[in-house]
Amino acid sequence: MSIAWYLAVSAIVFSLGAIGVMTRRNPLVVLLCLELMLNGANLALIAFSRMWGNGDGQILAIVVMTVAACEVCIGLGMIVAIYRRHLPIDVDELRELQG
Amino acid sequence: MIPLATAHLKGPHIDFAGLSPLIALLGGSVLVLIVGLLGSRWIRAQAVPSLSLGALGAALGLTIWQWNAQKSIVSGALRIDDLALVLNLVLIAGAACTVLLAWRSLAAREAAHGEFHALLLSSVAGMSLLAAAQNTVALFVGLELLSIPLYVLCATELKREHSLESGLKYLIVGSVGSATLLYGLAMIYGATGTTDFAGIASALSNGSLATDPLTLTGVALCVAGLCFKSSIAPFHQWTPDVYEGAPTPVTAFMAVTTKVAAFGVFLRFFDVALIDTQVSWGPALAVLATITILVGNVGALGQSSLKRMLAYSSVAQAGYMLAGVVVSTQLGVRATVFYLAAYLFMNMAAFAVIVARERQTDLGDSIGALAGLGRERPLLAWPMTISMLALAGIPATAGFMGKFYLIDAAVSGGYTWLGVAIVVGSMISLGYYLPVIAAMWMREAPAATSPNDASVLAPTPGPLPALAGGSSELDEDGGPLSGSQPEVLVVAVLAGAATIFFGVIPQPLFDLVHGAGSGLGLF
Amino acid sequence: MSATTYGWLVLLFPLLGMLVTALGFRSLPGRSAGWIATAAIFLSFLAALGALIKIQGLAPEHRQVVSSLWSYASTVGIDAQMSILVDPLSVFMILVVTGVSTLIHLYSISYMEGDRGFARYFSYLNFFVFSMLLLVLAGNFLLLITGWAFVGAASYLLISFWYRRTTATSAGIKAFVINVVGDVGLVLGTYFIFKHTHTLDFLKTFQATSAGAFGHASNEGDLVAGCILLLVGAFAKSAQIPLHTWLPDAMEGPTPVSSLIHAATMVTAGVYLIARMHPLFELAPAAQDVGAVVGAATLLIAGTIGLAQTDIKRVIAYSTMSQIGYMIMGVSVGAYAAGLFHLMTHAFFKALLFMAAGSIIGAMAGEQSLNRMGGFRKAMPFTYGCFIVGGLALSGVPPFSGFFSKDDILLVTGERGGWHWILYVAGYVGAFLTAIYTFRMIFRAFHGEPVAEARELNLKSHPPHLHHAEVPRNPANGEEEDTDVGFPGPTHAIAERALPMRVAMGVLALGAVGAGLVQIPKVDFVIDDFLRPSFAGSALYEPHTKNGLLVFGLGLGTVLALLGIALAHRIWVVRPGMATSIRERFRPAYVLFVNKWYFDELIDMLVVKPAAAAGLFARDTFEQLFVDETLIGGTTGIVRAGSAAVRAAQSGFVRYYAALLVLGVTGVGFYFLLQT
Repeated sequence: MSIAWYLAVSAIVFSLGAIGVMTRRNPLVVLLCLELMLNGANLALIAFSRMWGNGDGQILAIVVMTVAACEVCIGLGMIVAIYRRHLPIDVDELRELQG
Repeated sequence: MIPLATAHLKGPHIDFAGLSPLIALLGGSVLVLIVGLLGSRWIRAQAVPSLSLGALGAALGLTIWQWNAQKSIVSGALRIDDLALVLNLVLIAGAACTVLLAWRSLAAREAAHGEFHALLLSSVAGMSLLAAAQNTVALFVGLELLSIPLYVLCATELKREHSLESGLKYLIVGSVGSATLLYGLAMIYGATGTTDFAGIASALSNGSLATDPLTLTGVALCVAGLCFKSSIAPFHQWTPDVYEGAPTPVTAFMAVTTKVAAFGVFLRFFDVALIDTQVSWGPALAVLATITILVGNVGALGQSSLKRMLAYSSVAQAGYMLAGVVVSTQLGVRATVFYLAAYLFMNMAAFAVIVARERQTDLGDSIGALAGLGRERPLLAWPMTISMLALAGIPATAGFMGKFYLIDAAVSGGYTWLGVAIVVGSMISLGYYLPVIAAMWMREAPAATSPNDASVLAPTPGPLPALAGGSSELDEDGGPLSGSQPEVLVVAVLAGAATIFFGVIPQPLFDLVHGAGSGLGLF
Repeated sequence: MSATTYGWLVLLFPLLGMLVTALGFRSLPGRSAGWIATAAIFLSFLAALGALIKIQGLAPEHRQVVSSLWSYASTVGIDAQMSILVDPLSVFMILVVTGVSTLIHLYSISYMEGDRGFARYFSYLNFFVFSMLLLVLAGNFLLLITGWAFVGAASYLLISFWYRRTTATSAGIKAFVINVVGDVGLVLGTYFIFKHTHTLDFLKTFQATSAGAFGHASNEGDLVAGCILLLVGAFAKSAQIPLHTWLPDAMEGPTPVSSLIHAATMVTAGVYLIARMHPLFELAPAAQDVGAVVGAATLLIAGTIGLAQTDIKRVIAYSTMSQIGYMIMGVSVGAYAAGLFHLMTHAFFKALLFMAAGSIIGAMAGEQSLNRMGGFRKAMPFTYGCFIVGGLALSGVPPFSGFFSKDDILLVTGERGGWHWILYVAGYVGAFLTAIYTFRMIFRAFHGEPVAEARELNLKSHPPHLHHAEVPRNPANGEEEDTDVGFPGPTHAIAERALPMRVAMGVLALGAVGAGLVQIPKVDFVIDDFLRPSFAGSALYEPHTKNGLLVFGLGLGTVLALLGIALAHRIWVVRPGMATSIRERFRPAYVLFVNKWYFDELIDMLVVKPAAAAGLFARDTFEQLFVDETLIGGTTGIVRAGSAAVRAAQSGFVRYYAALLVLGVTGVGFYFLLQT
């Protein structure tokens, strides 16, 4: 199967993630969309890795998974902290800092 | 036992000497995390920062021990050369200043000291990794090791809404930036089949790969990702919000060291791996640099929050430094590294004064907190004055020398108009640096300053529920934070003095950055 | 310690003195600021002596020592070092500067005693001396320019020291503006030279020049242009025509400041510059000729103006201009040793004359007009003696110091032959004029009927300090003043009765009498020999002198000086009415002289008025319409609009930031895809 298909799927996943970040207001969903973006990139990496027949891309993909887990952890931690401060769980409400 | 095992299984050769600064930083990070769990409050508040200073000192010593080393370590993933070592020095100095600024800060207390300093040290380790990265895996790991602790550090003043907001904003926008960069790295890998910088460079130098759409899309995404980290417009928007919201010591840390790491990897990735596509990215980065200079300087005008003003100013300074990357010459590399070092002194002086004033007045980081400082506390007013003049590029300061060097690099690299942009930007910048000086020397001090810090820095009245990650310490001790703060004063005075010193006697710094340019194989 | 270490010490002490007196002005009790400042300059003088001893201990060909403290920026084609050049020329200069300055500081302690700005005054004074020392010790153009500009700034501070006097501040501004004209000349000249030699260091510049950096013919265009621009700098600092008008006005400063400016620190800078740059000037004879002619013109014109002035300090000021004219002429025709010799003797007798003038001004409670003075001979014998010694030295009567040095300059000038004979004649005419105006001043102030103040002083019971009139007034324009900070203090010391002032004047009087004996033409060659290593490559240094001309010159000088004094005596002492009748007979000339040849008016008409008119016109049209509204309004408007736009974009919405990021990525990606 041509590499183009893999790339197309990965691009679609990445774009979906990006669109999600831009449109969704719930930070939990935003975090999910960030995961989508990273996984889109992962898909591309693994596809390329197969194409070239070396492991470099897969190594990077595994690293990315770890990193993604860390990011989500921190994101969730912050959401909990915000929730405990009785702040709204809505990224659009977080705009005290501007100008 | 262990020698026997190695005899059977031929493991990779590990050059511990080359890795030693990184080991010191990460080891220190683990150590302070454990020590931070100890019961005594004194240990948490005093021993933890001391230990983290010790770890930084060890890393500094090991870096100097490695001086003049030219070697690749970890199977070519990292390279120890003059550029990496010089950047390490700047990073460690910046981190040490941050530790001093954070010694009595609310942020460190609320996040529990062990965690705060552990995060700080691992972020420095990430930066150090980034400055030495030789393949895209190391690049990505370094970048995330740098960023993730920073996301948390921004949000460490858990009771302050702005701090949380800045943390979450940084996390979301930063992750988009990371994902973009990652996608770019994936495409470059797809085009060249390797993650090595050298491999990428040699693949791009053969045939038509340098103009391949896949490569160029990858390069474009990498430009965007790295520009995001070094806050180049139009990818700078997180900068003012995050800088303003984060605890001031963390802001100081971000402002200085993130730039160092980001420009280190800029120099390595673009001037080594992607050098054959320079015709494509050179003009693009030059245009971005110009936009950045304009946006940063224009945005800083009329800001009343000093941190926000410095955030925009750091955007503008990033634009200046990008000029050194654009030209991809040895002179450009040297100029960029020189400016990074000068930038450390200039910014640390300013942020130290802001930290000091935040604790002394109830005006926070507003420009009004500096009014009348010249008469009241000249030891704080002078570093701030020097810092503002240096950031604006007034002669006899390190900032002037740095700008001079950058303009020289831009002009001799064929980007005269970029040099002009730097000059125009500096002109505009006087419009926001001078009011700060005027406030200190020409305005009267506010009538009554009530240095009641606890209520100032944690403005929410009433009891709060226990917070995730919050330490019990704060609840038992809501007393004043300040009193005398000699360590902040030391940072301010030393950084101010260094700014003047390297403006008058810049030769040591010239000599230091001289080697940084030659290691990259540029002209 | 090596000679250069002493050189750095010479710079260090005044700098320290300045910092101590400036920072400690609140805590220094009484007159201690003055003593600290004086001690700083005296230590600097001792260090200069150390440098002298060390440099004499070296072989003659190694007496040019460069020492670099650190390199400021040796990168990208610039070799800016913090370097000083210690050689006989600079040692000679620092000796004169520190020696005379020490005495002036000492004198100032008493003179400024009652002033509210005592510590500030000494801080400025130390800064002034430091700047001058930096100027003469500079080993490269960068430090030279720095010192040059510092001297200008220090003179501004000191001339307008009494900053609440409008006349003083405008005089300070005038001095500063004209000095900046000179600074611009110096910087541009340096640029012309640097362009060819690619080095800022003096010795390397001279090497490159002699190696043909400008080409091998003489009078190469860029070199001549560079040298003439350097001359502009020299003229402005040394008050040569037409950049001299600041010097008489500079009399608004306290009298010791005038003494410092005229004797040691400032006006000699131009002479030093030409002597220092002699390898360049000798390859540009055209520039040398310009210098010589301007020097000769200045000495004549200043002499004639001196004849008609009535302000005692201005008479001395014009005599300075005239004497500096001799020096500039001397170093421009190759009489380097003679010119510098005259610089030294002049430093002694001119400092002495100013101090003596300060004494009489003190006795007159600030009044400076000769018309109101008279008969002080009996009241102030010591001051009178100083004036006589200084006057004889200035007029060039043997064996006083000015006699030997002035005739030495004219001798060398005459020996150049050709059109230089015109300069020679001008020099002797000037000498005659000098004798007349000097003794006119002395006779009018000290002889004749004693004025009220002189009679008051004759009463032995008089206290050492005189008090102002009920309401102090500015002697220049009669405005009422108080005695607070920014104005002269309430008391005026009389030099006769204050020990520090007497000591300073006494030492200088000895110098004025004896300094000329250091180098009697054809008898000893101390200055010639001492300075020779600095002028090693010079073709003009020490030409073969003809004894006939020497004897003729010395004789002529003596005769003219005595004749001038006799004439002055006849006009102003023997027949007091004669001055008026002469004035009436030569009315046009008198009007010309008393109006200072209309130089102020000329500059006003040629430069200031047209510039002001053009400025006015431009303000009403160009500036208002184009600059204010279009350029400034436009750019600030753009910047403001940009600021508003950037802030508007910074909306605080995270999703919006992410969107903009994606937009940016798309833009960059689009650009890159266009490259394929």
